[in-house]
Amino acid sequence: MGQDQPRWENMSVTTEIPELVVCPDHTQVFMFSAITWNRHHIHYSKEAAISEGLPDIVVQRALIGNFLARLITNWVGDSAELRRLAWKVTRSALPGNDIVCRGRIKETIDSEDEKCLVCEVTASTRNDELIASGEAVVVFNENGTPR
Amino acid sequence: MDTSLPEDVIAMIGVEKVRQYDVTRRDIKRFAQAIGEANPIHFDEDHAKSTRYGTIVAPPLFCQIFTFEDVPPNRLPKDGSPIEIDVPLSAQRTVGGGSSYEIFQRVRAGDRITAKSTLKDVVSKEGRSGRLYFIVVETEFSSHTNQLVAKETATYIKRV
Repeated sequence: MGQDQPRWENMSVTTEIPELVVCPDHTQVFMFSAITWNRHHIHYSKEAAISEGLPDIVVQRALIGNFLARLITNWVGDSAELRRLAWKVTRSALPGNDIVCRGRIKETIDSEDEKCLVCEVTASTRNDELIASGEAVVVFNENGTPR
Repeated sequence: MDTSLPEDVIAMIGVEKVRQYDVTRRDIKRFAQAIGEANPIHFDEDHAKSTRYGTIVAPPLFCQIFTFEDVPPNRLPKDGSPIEIDVPLSAQRTVGGGSSYEIFQRVRAGDRITAKSTLKDVVSKEGRSGRLYFIVVETEFSSHTNQLVAKETATYIKRV
């Protein structure tokens, strides 16, 4: 975790973020519903999920966002700052299946105040079906080490 | 604003709801476990002291735990979906959606967080399998020192 923390001088457009693979199970989906007090039945009742046309309970959109956030924080380490994360879910993620999170730098911004990376991020199935895509902004401080 | 919406939906747009919560170390630890994050900065004070934060901090999207109002189950819609998106529309199945989440400060134990959520907009569109409604909820999370900690703009999609 964060062993090779990225440094500003090594950052360039198209730099790939080390992949993060997670496999949320039913217990994790339940735990996330509990901690966020999300009582929506498609996250705990398979029967209800099926009645809504889903094959099983589904992983919460917010939890998928955390996987994308972990993709970034695992890469830049404890001392990094994720400033913004935007993501859109386009496909249901089902428990018991791998979610592959990937990203790459698409823009570097070197202003007087701060140095930022804008990264494309995606979450996909093992078959490369897109579950979510979005953008992350990571902020570095002036001397090039993560804030 | 989508003027084709029922008047009672339009009346809900712009209404603010405010609630307040105290953050504990247990909340942070449990949130970290729920997202599968094993970094000790979220639960080990000795380790956290050696980091630049000097104390345990929450994962970036931690304020998600305050997104939904903790109303009793009988106040929720029948499907248990959040009261925040309980708008009187014929479309009631929630699908997909997106979020834009900004983080200004890491949350720490002892913070008192005020969550202010507002139904910003409801937009209807004709989808491939019927009418879709995009419900936009903005939530600002502020600390007891009146600093903005995080802000989320979430879009929920409802379909018939």
